[in-house]
Amino acid sequence: MHYLLVGFEDVLLDPATLFWVAFGVTLGYILGALPGLGKATGVAVSIPLTFYLGPAAALGMLIGIAKGSAAGSAVSAILLNTPGEPSSAPTALDGYPLARQGKAQKALKMGLFASVIGDFASTVILIGLAAPLAQYALLIGPVELCAILLFSLTFIGGLSGRSLIKGLIAGALGVFFATIGLETETFIPRMTFGLLELDDGIALVPMAIGMLAVAEMIVQAGNLRTLDGEMEKLTDGGAREDHFVTAAEWRRCLPVIARGTFIGSIVGILPGLGASVGSFLSYGATQKASKTPEKFGTGMIEGVAAAESADNAVVPSSLIPLFALGIPGSVIAAILIAAFILHGLTPGPLMFQQQPRLVADVYAAMLCASAILLVIGYSGQRLFARIIKVPLRLIIPGVLLLCCVGAYMETNSVFSIYVMLFFTLVGFFSRKLDFSFVTFLIGFVIGPNLELTFRQSIQLLDHDAANLIHHPIALLFIGLTVATVAWLALGSYRAARKPRRPRPRGKETIEV
Amino acid sequence: MERMTRRGALAALAGLGLGTMVLAGSAAASDAYPTGPITMLVGYAAGGQTDLVARAAAKVMGEQLGVPINVVNKPGAGGAVAARELQQAKPDGYTLLFHSNTVVNSAPFIMERVDFTPDDFEYAGMITAYQVGLVTQKDAPFDTLPEFIAWAKQNPGFSYGALSPEARLYIEQIARQEGLKANIVPLKGGGDMINAILGRQVVLAFSGGIHNKYPDQMKMISALTTFRHPSDPDVKTIEEDGFALGMDSRATLFLPKGTPRPILDRLAAALQAAATDPGFEKVAAAASIPIMYLGVDAAYKEMADTYAKNRGIMQSAGLIK
Repeated sequence: MHYLLVGFEDVLLDPATLFWVAFGVTLGYILGALPGLGKATGVAVSIPLTFYLGPAAALGMLIGIAKGSAAGSAVSAILLNTPGEPSSAPTALDGYPLARQGKAQKALKMGLFASVIGDFASTVILIGLAAPLAQYALLIGPVELCAILLFSLTFIGGLSGRSLIKGLIAGALGVFFATIGLETETFIPRMTFGLLELDDGIALVPMAIGMLAVAEMIVQAGNLRTLDGEMEKLTDGGAREDHFVTAAEWRRCLPVIARGTFIGSIVGILPGLGASVGSFLSYGATQKASKTPEKFGTGMIEGVAAAESADNAVVPSSLIPLFALGIPGSVIAAILIAAFILHGLTPGPLMFQQQPRLVADVYAAMLCASAILLVIGYSGQRLFARIIKVPLRLIIPGVLLLCCVGAYMETNSVFSIYVMLFFTLVGFFSRKLDFSFVTFLIGFVIGPNLELTFRQSIQLLDHDAANLIHHPIALLFIGLTVATVAWLALGSYRAARKPRRPRPRGKETIEV
Repeated sequence: MERMTRRGALAALAGLGLGTMVLAGSAAASDAYPTGPITMLVGYAAGGQTDLVARAAAKVMGEQLGVPINVVNKPGAGGAVAARELQQAKPDGYTLLFHSNTVVNSAPFIMERVDFTPDDFEYAGMITAYQVGLVTQKDAPFDTLPEFIAWAKQNPGFSYGALSPEARLYIEQIARQEGLKANIVPLKGGGDMINAILGRQVVLAFSGGIHNKYPDQMKMISALTTFRHPSDPDVKTIEEDGFALGMDSRATLFLPKGTPRPILDRLAAALQAAATDPGFEKVAAAASIPIMYLGVDAAYKEMADTYAKNRGIMQSAGLIK
């Protein structure tokens, strides 16, 4: 605690450190808010900079970029339906309908507040509980992880949109595309067609940009007149409650944010899952817990709060394994390790003994970043919200350019742009044919981890399912999975027996 | 297709304002080298140990040569994507690749579509070595490879963490020779390996050198190189323990085939300056990466020797004919 105060003193009294933290947050927020660009771009831009900065400034800047882009990606998701990062895809599900109803500012504010609360709470967890939590996280081995991932796949049921079957097909396609690349045990290339670029699989960033942003822009270009016409009719500056989050909404959303923060923090600590899994799980859980699950996807403010709180909570908690054990839990953490080493420090528990002051500085910088995020996000809201009034014919070309730059920056190769274009086609047809691209993304993100942990589990269990008895956590999640699937099956069986009644044409009417 | 991709790549680079320096360099004569910025490709993603060393070396080399060196990460297929890109670059010294020499001395034997030979590139020296080894928990009941083998005979069905084809090759060869029964757990990268060891999921794992950052939790029982590791001078190599499986890898400066010798010498001199630079030494020491500089001629010899040796190992393992 004493050190934390010293850390605050260091950060707040040293204008250079504070500047670089603010710079990181601002850069991250802007990159996140621009469709196509995101964390990957920010990190690429800032790595050379870290060579010239002091340790606290460099680390603060990198963490600021991660935090800023996680929050900023909600902006493009809400305003343009083009999530800046794949982890904001669930934000768009309800955020964009809200914006189309003239409640863009409300959705943006909720997204920002949820981000900042999730971020701040998760940072506090990191500071207070890093060491004990990281020890517990080590108990979650591949066997447990495999069961948890299996369970999370059942959320596809709730996120499938109008048809469960189509949702499952899209999810399976996501898993299919994720199998491309070197197989993990024999290292035989799968479906790479001899292209070395595909050996490491399809990269998430260009895939998501094509699927989420470019495809959406093409669909919107097809509806140009209708969409612009709708917006002209929409009178801004109407009801006050459309611009602010009302007290009633706060009451509804606070438990949602708390759950999102909890889920995000847990997902962050577990190895190899990432922010997308966090926000999908939080959104799915909120929808399941809701009394009106059928309204999700039509502009439920809870949906925005659920996705954004979890999305941002993942960022600080993914640093827990890094700070407590020296294990990189995310891409940003891996970059941070390099930054630590550059400045002659070894990340891990020794850091607390050898460099307590630096650790305190970094903690203080992280807390400051949360506050800066709130200020920057809040002051940008009005400006951003005007974007929705700009005619789409002016927006679309700019977005397409940014998408190409964002896809390219990930690997510095044109191949990524081809990947982006391919998934633009997939995304376009999935929209036109009403297949859920959200379940596709879930399949794509969870599929490879599920395969890897399953193969690891087979080896670790010595090829004998009976050894599962030594893994009670895994058994619990397998039980939950079976129960959920049975419950879903029962629900659709009953629905099938009932005479079909005409359903309202809501976009997200659920079968079960 | 190949041409299209390349032209597209250049166009995109130019679009980002980076292309100018690639083009500016092409006309320069080798005696005036270098007159413009140099692009240094790295075949791994940013943040890894090779990337770290590359950036630290690029900084010193840029100061030595008087031109900026821009590090461009081009990950994919263990560096084969970047190496192929280098092959298509002009042999003028303005595009180079900083990478582990495994992309030439071991990848071709393991990956079907990679067929590099030492003759496909020029080399301007090597700067650091990778401390590859077999690692376990600090409190494991064995300290050496023979002790481990004795333990494994009592404990069949033990778990071993492998993150690459080479990692599998080691345990398969040892298991075959000693009659052990191993469960090989596939791991994705170094972070996954640390998780597996610290979480006690596996009793033994292959490490690319990252274990040196965890001296309180991990120990190495065998060095998988032909030399003992500077970080662990007391641990025997796998060859000392009677298995002819030592495969060395070093961070190498690759250039396109046909690059003139004076340019190689100029770059090697700058690389040597980096090897003795205090800033570079600090970075390497913090990451526990030993500096083992080799000049141009030594690098060519090392490349040819390790290629021949690894080929023999893979042949006896039955991976290639």
